[in-house]
Amino acid sequence: MRILREWILAIALLVALILDGSISLYLHQFMVYGSYNSACLLVPIGIMLIALFDDTNEKEIWLALGTGIVADIYFLGIIGIYSVFLPLICWACQKVARFLPEVFWARLLVVLLGVIILSIYSWLILSMVGMISISDHLMLISLIPTVIWSLIFTVLTYWVWGTLARDYPFMINLDAYR
Amino acid sequence: MKKFLQNKKLLTTFIIIIIVLAVLGISVNLRRKRNTPLLIQSFGNDIVAVGARVVDVPVNLVSNGLNSAHSILNTQEENNHLKDQVTDLGQTKSRNASLEAENKQLKSALKLKSTLTSYSMVNASVISRSPDSWSDLLVINKGSTAGIRKNMAVMCGGGVIGRVVEVNAASSKVELITTTDKSANRFSVQAKAANGKNVHGIITVISGNNLAFTQVVDSNKLKQGTKVYTSGMGGNSPKGLLIGTVSSTTHDTFGLSDLIKINPAGEVNDPSVVTVIQRKVTG
Repeated sequence: MRILREWILAIALLVALILDGSISLYLHQFMVYGSYNSACLLVPIGIMLIALFDDTNEKEIWLALGTGIVADIYFLGIIGIYSVFLPLICWACQKVARFLPEVFWARLLVVLLGVIILSIYSWLILSMVGMISISDHLMLISLIPTVIWSLIFTVLTYWVWGTLARDYPFMINLDAYR
Repeated sequence: MKKFLQNKKLLTTFIIIIIVLAVLGISVNLRRKRNTPLLIQSFGNDIVAVGARVVDVPVNLVSNGLNSAHSILNTQEENNHLKDQVTDLGQTKSRNASLEAENKQLKSALKLKSTLTSYSMVNASVISRSPDSWSDLLVINKGSTAGIRKNMAVMCGGGVIGRVVEVNAASSKVELITTTDKSANRFSVQAKAANGKNVHGIITVISGNNLAFTQVVDSNKLKQGTKVYTSGMGGNSPKGLLIGTVSSTTHDTFGLSDLIKINPAGEVNDPSVVTVIQRKVTG
């Protein structure tokens, strides 16, 4: 049971990863505006919020790496998008969290900035390997719906990730501190 | 150089970047060249796909509820349209049955087992879609155990929507026809011009995720509404799968060749159940 508590965050991220795919499928018609597509980024938002809530657990970086590899293989079939971005942003958010006010608005701004960086990074890498051929104009306009949807997802999941990060830290036995 | 080698942080960063680029290059290469992914990758994909099927049940219920409410609002209009269609359907069905029987007899007379138009079908449900804004990839719940192979054509809503790009044991990835992937295989297609001649070409994606009929070898212009089918010449898909209809014919930016825009017939935006087409004639 103790092991399960330590791995709940990983299970939650796996569920979020599956939900990312399901929401992208079922809400696709609401996430496309002409030629401009919005991304569904529950997992990256989750990783950033977890790192902002719990900035002391370095094992979360390994959790982000594992989640990134699974997401890359499952969604894209190549390794190098989420598996690079998620551990990097987790590390960066943990550093930022040390001087960031512990309020919703400050964390929201960091998450939205992370979402923009992820969108540009994924566009850059996928263009580099020839998997997409999308103009920079189209990419920049697509950032607007992506940021709006990410704002909604952050508001909806903020409390969930906060509770999970505080009460079920990854690979840490809280009983040892009680 | 000595300073660089002594700076551990810089050296570690440099090594990590090299490793990331190498892994990226290897995985892209594997994706393009291998018919099936590595065993560990295939296993991981199938495990997540099983989870996706479980999560999909409640999500599907909610989605179906919303769609039903939307459908009720359009019922009257749809009903009138369908009534018009039903009157023609009976005649078309009986004619189709007699032509099919005749075709079978002629094939047996010529001792032909299968032709470019022969294919079998595998139905599958879409369980996931790539969540990023850029790639057009779907995950379906059938894989190599159901007979699915790489490069098979995938249909939904009466038209071709894409092609299988990765096959695992119990799930597969489908790249949509609207993808901007430069290395994606393109469908070789044909259409009947106004003068009765067949016009051949391939389907490519132009700006704004629109489809176009390019590399047309005949200058005969195609009228608006002309149906475009696969020609079976590409070696992967059978002949006669509907791609879409001609929406307009213009000149390209250089003014040298025709640019024929296509309205896709398949349900590209909202595919939930798809049919994977297995061509019988190989090669």
